[in-house]
Amino acid sequence: MNVTSKEQARKRTQMLVELRKQHDAQVKQAQERLKEQQTIRKTLQRAMQGAPRSVPQLAAITNLAAYEVLWHIAAMKKYGVVEEAGMDTGGEYYLYELSKEAKG
Amino acid sequence: MAADRLQVDTIVIGGGIAGMQAALDLADQGYRVALVEKNPSVGGKMIGLSKVFPTLDCCSCITTPKMAAVAYHDNIDLLTYSEVQSVSRNEQGFVVQVLKKPRYVIDDACTGCRSCELVCPLDLPDDANEFGRTAHRVIYVPFTTAVPQKALIDIDQCVFCGKCLQACPSDAIDFSQLPAFLEIQARSIILATGYQVTRYDAKKQYGAGKLRNVIDGLMMERLLAPTGPYGRVLRPSDGKQPASIAYVQCAGSRDETLGVPYCSRVCCMYAIKQAMLLSGMLPLADITIYYMDIRTFGKGYEQFYRSAQAMGITFVKGKVARITEDADQNPTVRVELIDDHSQVVERKHDLVVLSVGMLPGGDPQALYGVPTSEDGFVRIPNYNVAPATTTQEGVFATGTAIGPMDIVDSIVTASAAAAEVSAYLQSHYAAGSLTDAERSLIHA
Repeated sequence: MNVTSKEQARKRTQMLVELRKQHDAQVKQAQERLKEQQTIRKTLQRAMQGAPRSVPQLAAITNLAAYEVLWHIAAMKKYGVVEEAGMDTGGEYYLYELSKEAKG
Repeated sequence: MAADRLQVDTIVIGGGIAGMQAALDLADQGYRVALVEKNPSVGGKMIGLSKVFPTLDCCSCITTPKMAAVAYHDNIDLLTYSEVQSVSRNEQGFVVQVLKKPRYVIDDACTGCRSCELVCPLDLPDDANEFGRTAHRVIYVPFTTAVPQKALIDIDQCVFCGKCLQACPSDAIDFSQLPAFLEIQARSIILATGYQVTRYDAKKQYGAGKLRNVIDGLMMERLLAPTGPYGRVLRPSDGKQPASIAYVQCAGSRDETLGVPYCSRVCCMYAIKQAMLLSGMLPLADITIYYMDIRTFGKGYEQFYRSAQAMGITFVKGKVARITEDADQNPTVRVELIDDHSQVVERKHDLVVLSVGMLPGGDPQALYGVPTSEDGFVRIPNYNVAPATTTQEGVFATGTAIGPMDIVDSIVTASAAAAEVSAYLQSHYAAGSLTDAERSLIHA
């Protein structure tokens, strides 16, 4: 990192600190939401590590409502964290597993 | 704050299919047009639909070329994420004040690469495009085919982590942006403000929006679209692939209790279309349409209806009285079977779709001084002679701003509006109400 980019990085950090101060209340709310979301996502990812799971299975494992699980799965699928892995034996529910990228 | 200025022949309010068509028709004739859209992308409701009836052509394939055309047309100034604040008259027509909302992303710099979106840590419900069934990030491009393909930030949800700043290859993020004002001098106005649907939670007999597996027609459009929230048709309560789907017709139209006595004209056809698409996607599913009358008035519509019957879709004549749900959140429909000795039965389905109707998209009276009819849509005093001319000189209306209609009719009335505006502008310019200098400025 040269002098100019160091200076730019310092200014950028300072600007973000100022913005967080300016929007203090809403930033705190958003941080809470982020923390909660990250906790749920980690729980869901752990639940899918052993085997592909359906939404009702994930709901039972995580104690979340099935509609909430579906929302998280839809979001994770959109951003490439989760992939479909066929259907359950009853042919009613799709199964989901971590994507190769998410498995690392 | 000083406003930027723009001078045009026509300002079109609303960037849905009707607004885009009217803007393109006028721009192609050499008129300068400003197209104002309140959302971050043009395309209106049509870009969110799966396919059109009765041809089953892909909606995106019809809409996206028009979206691109309005964005790149030399004679069109496209103003997205912008709203009209006030309108006043002067000798040259109208002075329209437009508020351009901040995206916190520099339009000219953003390439729509989504690098910012991919590193943003927080997901939010995508209420605007997906009825909250999936997410977008705090910084996001509205949808895959959005025009302009530019990111924006939901600043109220941002934690200012700075990851987007680091990821953006073109330094397009600008947290210092403020609302900007633009003053548009226009000779004429076209209202293409579209429609909203009857709220699916409006009727307590149908669950008042509390039953997760009772959705409306627009929500089903997203489930059917390849770009939809789940990428397939799943029911919202638990992700089950539905084996039994029911449509309840006239669930928001022809209903005095909702204050919507009129027929919305599109519900029969979109229900039949969706049923046909579902039949293709879920070949083993039972699909039932509960109806009062089937109204298939357009070219090729009756044949479409008969094709649906031939495909095995069940049409049941009867008004649904009530929808409840069982312990597994399966909706149960209570209906009088009119063609079966009027017996009242209860039938369980996995998913119920309410064929909700059309309501006016906004009130044109306050801003434009344009009165509405009893139904709340823009009043066109001489519809048989001048189908786009309102009671206010220089103000025209088109598409579903003037009443419920389908996509074909929206496009037809949009072209009619463009023709009427063109004639209006010609009569004014021929009368010499503008000086040569003013005219050359407009067409420069």
